Amino acid sequence: MNRLLAAGLTVCALLVPGVARAQSASALLDQGVRAYSVREYDGGAWLLRRALAVEGANALSNAEAARALVYLTATEVARNQRDSALVAARRLIVLDPRYRPDERTFPPQVIAVYQEARRSAPSVSIRASGDTAIRPGSEAFVVRLGSSTSPEVSAAVTNADGRVVRTLFTGTLRDSVDLRWNGLDASGNPPPPGRYAIIVSPRRGGATASGGGWTLRLPLELARPSVDTTPLPPGPPDSLFRPERGNTSGAARALVPGVVAGVAIVLIPKLVATDERASNARLVVGGAVTIAGVAAFLSKRPGQRIPANERYNRNLRENWQRNVAEISRRNADRQRQSRLIIRPGAPSLVTSETP
Amino acid sequence: MKPPPRLGLLVTCAALLPVALHAQDKRLQFTVGGVAGYEIVQSHFGQVNDRFTGLLLGAEGVLISDRLMVRVRYGEGRMNPSAGSNTAAREVVEGEAFFGVRATPWLSIWAGPSARAYTIDDSAERWLIWTVRATARGTLLPGRMQTFVELWGAASGNVGNPPIKAGGRGASGGLEARLGDANFWGRLGYRIESTHAEGLRETVETLTLSVIYGLPQ
Repeated sequence: MNRLLAAGLTVCALLVPGVARAQSASALLDQGVRAYSVREYDGGAWLLRRALAVEGANALSNAEAARALVYLTATEVARNQRDSALVAARRLIVLDPRYRPDERTFPPQVIAVYQEARRSAPSVSIRASGDTAIRPGSEAFVVRLGSSTSPEVSAAVTNADGRVVRTLFTGTLRDSVDLRWNGLDASGNPPPPGRYAIIVSPRRGGATASGGGWTLRLPLELARPSVDTTPLPPGPPDSLFRPERGNTSGAARALVPGVVAGVAIVLIPKLVATDERASNARLVVGGAVTIAGVAAFLSKRPGQRIPANERYNRNLRENWQRNVAEISRRNADRQRQSRLIIRPGAPSLVTSETP
Repeated sequence: MKPPPRLGLLVTCAALLPVALHAQDKRLQFTVGGVAGYEIVQSHFGQVNDRFTGLLLGAEGVLISDRLMVRVRYGEGRMNPSAGSNTAAREVVEGEAFFGVRATPWLSIWAGPSARAYTIDDSAERWLIWTVRATARGTLLPGRMQTFVELWGAASGNVGNPPIKAGGRGASGGLEARLGDANFWGRLGYRIESTHAEGLRETVETLTLSVIYGLPQ
């Protein structure tokens, strides 16, 4: 009966990995524990690693992660994978240095591996208080770093690519220290949402008790609730810009009204007062209008700069740029004032002995 | 009876200026200006031909609301007969009031009365002509210089007392240029009007110089 159940679990876990991925970390943990209890160790190890690999909002809680790691240690011992069992036990110690495997649940070999891991694991731990929402710049996300020795360490927030976003601590870690991150990067700006981590590593080649290097990693997921921002105005359309150089049609538009009006003023008196001899006043005005039209034509002749249009276009661009800068500044203010949600995951330890 | 000297002109200016200044920053636009003109009047009555010249001073204003417009003008002066004539000088008072519609950005249509009164010794000769006008505008330099031409014809009219039927037609045109960066404009204009009634014909030509506050329309 147990074999049938184990076979079923194995089929579910190994043949339908997509289904397993879609399951929650807690469900994977329960299945992994059940697989261990029916001695289906290969499937159990796979399920427990999947559960521990989940990050973000669906990740295991610290207590669940500790349970998963102790069962993973036991499973690897049962599979005769001693090195893997040691790695899992060290992760458990980093996660919760005070955790003790239940001697009534696990065989003496598991307890022995755990004790060995305790002796060889670096004496550092990291503990976050859970999901936290802070205002970047004015509030802080706090992580407690602890150690029973006094190693020289550095701690930094890194992004998914491993690039340092902000250094949090450099120095000797005595007993414990609270790392406070205000949610800003090194240049004082809030980093974009995504996956980050707090990486703690020894300085000056800081070595573990067994002589290897180590890196303590606390995964973080940064999220930001959507903020109402004003969309940036589009640039002024080409139709609003005036030509900065004279062209043929513009020159003609300046010339034609002047010439037509000038000629009309000279000729119209002959139509209005046919029997009268009009004075020369019409020639003065008609001539002035025609000359003005010609002057306007010359000022707009093809290729000629049009300073008024240049000023107009410059003002148009500058007004738009001012608007964009002002709206960008307001949007940035709103972004800065919005809360940053930080979700810590289960910490992990990587040592030079990790297979 | 002589018209009160310059009184009408002063009253017109005084009435137009505050309204113009108040209206500039609202939806209504208003222009107001002063006009000085040199006028030539050729008068034909039967076989008698007279020619007068003289200076005319006046004021004008335009109220503009989207497509509708109102235009008023007032002027007065003294017309002196040409040398060698034994005709007496005339005091002249003229005015007009038109309602207009902007048919297109460059063409406006106007309608309204145009009046002119001469005082010769103790008698008066009054012309009242109802006209329809079309004004075309063209821009030479945007915001700096523009030109215009206006044509009109009489719809009806009368002259004298008792009134006899009168008619006429006319035209005007000119150049408007902005004076510096302020909203003052200068206008050089030419106007000719030919009015007639039974046995009577008058042709009035005017060369005008105006200074206008607000964009001329």
